[in-house]
Amino acid sequence: MVSESQITPIRIKFKKYGSLMYISHLDLARTMQRIIVRSGIDIWYSEGFNPQPKIVFAVPLPVGVESECEYMDIKINTPMSCDEISRRLSANFPEEMKVLDVYVPETKLKKIMYIDYEITISSPYIEASTAEKINLIFSNDLYITKKSKGNEKEINIKEYIKSLKSRTSDDKIVIDAIIASGSEKNLNPELLIEAIKQNIGILTTSPISEYYTIMRKDMLCEDLTKFQ
Amino acid sequence: MYKNLSSILKSVSKPGRYTGGEYGQIIKDKKDINCRIAFCFPDLYEIGMSNLGVRLLYGALNQENDIWCERVYAPWTDMEEKMRQYDIPLWAHESKDSVKDFDIVAFSLQYELCYTTAINMIDLAKLPIYAADRTDDMPVLLAGGPCAYNPEPVADFFDVFSIGEGEEALVEFSRLYIKMKKNGTYNKKDFLREVSHLKGFYVPSLYDVEYNEDGTIKSFEPKYGDVPKKVEKRIIADLNTSYFPTKPIMPFIEVVHDRIMLETFRGCIRGCRFCQAGMVFRPVREKNAQTLNRQAKEIYENTGYTEISLTSLSISDYSCLHEATDLLLEWTNPKKINLSLPSLRADSFTKELMDKVSSIRQSGLTFAPEAVTQRLRDAINKNLYEEDLLNAVRLAFEGGKSQVKLYFMNGLPTETYEDIEGIAVLAKHVVDEYYKVPIRPKKPVSVTVSVSCFVPKPHTPFQWEGQDDLQLLRDKQIFLAEKITDKKIRYNWHEAKVSRLEAVFSKGNRKLSKAIAYAQKNGMRFDAWDEYFDYDKWMQVFAKCSIDPDFYANRKMSYDEILPWDVIDIGVSKNFLISENKKAYKSKTTPNCKEKCSGCGANKLGGDITWCPKAR
Repeated sequence: MVSESQITPIRIKFKKYGSLMYISHLDLARTMQRIIVRSGIDIWYSEGFNPQPKIVFAVPLPVGVESECEYMDIKINTPMSCDEISRRLSANFPEEMKVLDVYVPETKLKKIMYIDYEITISSPYIEASTAEKINLIFSNDLYITKKSKGNEKEINIKEYIKSLKSRTSDDKIVIDAIIASGSEKNLNPELLIEAIKQNIGILTTSPISEYYTIMRKDMLCEDLTKFQ
Repeated sequence: MYKNLSSILKSVSKPGRYTGGEYGQIIKDKKDINCRIAFCFPDLYEIGMSNLGVRLLYGALNQENDIWCERVYAPWTDMEEKMRQYDIPLWAHESKDSVKDFDIVAFSLQYELCYTTAINMIDLAKLPIYAADRTDDMPVLLAGGPCAYNPEPVADFFDVFSIGEGEEALVEFSRLYIKMKKNGTYNKKDFLREVSHLKGFYVPSLYDVEYNEDGTIKSFEPKYGDVPKKVEKRIIADLNTSYFPTKPIMPFIEVVHDRIMLETFRGCIRGCRFCQAGMVFRPVREKNAQTLNRQAKEIYENTGYTEISLTSLSISDYSCLHEATDLLLEWTNPKKINLSLPSLRADSFTKELMDKVSSIRQSGLTFAPEAVTQRLRDAINKNLYEEDLLNAVRLAFEGGKSQVKLYFMNGLPTETYEDIEGIAVLAKHVVDEYYKVPIRPKKPVSVTVSVSCFVPKPHTPFQWEGQDDLQLLRDKQIFLAEKITDKKIRYNWHEAKVSRLEAVFSKGNRKLSKAIAYAQKNGMRFDAWDEYFDYDKWMQVFAKCSIDPDFYANRKMSYDEILPWDVIDIGVSKNFLISENKKAYKSKTTPNCKEKCSGCGANKLGGDITWCPKAR
């Protein structure tokens, strides 16, 4: 039992998918504050001039990427069971976002080192050898220009890839990639798509005939065990 | 279609504008629905989602079980390019279904410069833009909102206009549609004829307009005896019992007004002579403090917003303001909810009020004296004195504020250069007032002077006036810029070319339709956006369509001229407007509705009218 004066940390695991992949991290953060307030969860506010409900997210999800494994930490002032929190959040989540788990965390979010992504590519230009070609380009040094906030930097993608397997499934290419993600070393999975465009020559025509999806499957620790 | 749409969104700016799926959006089962309405806002999602009127009508229509109202916004130009490239017709947010397959397509026309965007949306929906070209199997196009008080410039595009407050009217309109569809009597022509018998609906195709040689209107008559000569606007009688949405849609992306917007009352007791809202929303009808507090709580619980804005045309005139803020602060303070009161009048600004609104967070203060010299302020009937303003800013400074914004207008009827110079003098007085306060914030004062250009508006005492010509408006702006020398005063002025175009459309007649159609065809849209506003291109459009903009914007009309908007009856009589216009030239004020009834005529519309003793 938690005494009334105690502030309890709570971790929420949720998924965000479908058209909500286009909602940016900043927009999600604001949305989540409002969800928690309207859920009647007595969240701990930040101190200072403009107090805000304090929410800490694990590795921000890039725009255009779906996820089955988002984590956020909050603190609550008034005790409430995890089941009750889960029930209230579920009632207040928009469609295309689902609560997966609510618990008192035993680990820190910064333990996350890798993220397992599943990339699915649909294109009429996929050939029998395409999957193998993709495996090949990512097994060697692969330099690509990374743009962020006006800066351009040449990076070697290989240094960020823990493992990458590409296969053909129902005319589609499915790539399973574990890449460095976290506060120390981080790669946006869109750069894998960029590398494929440049080196394989697919996904270069219209977004109507060729398209792809990226799904976060799992967040992983240093030893590749699942983060909890 | 949706799969394709989704992959296209990767290549446009702010894709969150187009996704839908927000908490609070209303999804219905199509098999239960007899009438589908696409409610279009001819501007970006961020603007449209902030509009209280749209929220109200969306909610009110969806209260009906067999009606499903969805939202539609204008795609930004990058998205439009993709839609045209990949042949994607305009769709509705909730169902993603194509707008052209709806029963009713309704447009909210909030400002004149949205006209090309609105017409472009009709085109993007793959519907013919002219009402006469649309067949019985296509949706009925309706328009409403403030611009519908002079519907003539866009009369050729829409089948029908909803005049006045639409919460009840649009439901009646949809019911008539459903009835005629069900009993098999529906065709557009017969339906529109029936609609013209409903109160508050104007069907432009049922009127003949003839012109004199000088371009003024010779006659404006209904084609048939059963069609009303004048269309009286609709009002909601009692705001305490009428519908108000307490579960608004929660946008994911930041929108302009991302907070609880709580309507306190409709109408305005003041009667400033340039102000259209002050005339067309008469008579004043208030919500009581209890209703307001109840609605605020409900919205808070349904949204999680941490800011409440009490909206009205002039919040200080709300008779329950103190009672309402006391009730609200009781629970909003402990919950760290910020309360804001926009549209404060300087003469009712008190320390008590300021302490209330700043109890959580600081915000700057804005006052709108509009004019400086007492003579001009009397001419426009802005009953406010310089001491009131200086008192208000002193209170604000004593309370720890160091930023004040002041709104003025250039080009008002009877204005002289002395009036303009007075703006600079007054701003300096405000600066001086700051340094007279012994205990003031430890930073320099910042006074922002924002000056807009007068645009003569239909249904106001100044509706007959011509706007200053462009050169004169600019000369006046430059004159003032030279008079403001204090570095603590920031001077912003409104682009005179924009105001001129607004004046053309505000006072426009049916002949303008062809210019709007031509402009849209030539790629003009988002005229209200700096990046797309192109005055020279508009002048070319007018020249091409033989439209003389001076005729609309600058010509002073006579009292007996038939005005394009005379067909609309806002409740306020023409005689009242004429008498107000005459008083302006004598700098004579008219008391506000609280002090005395001046017989404007709006009380004939009925309603629970708080400040209209004659109506009781």
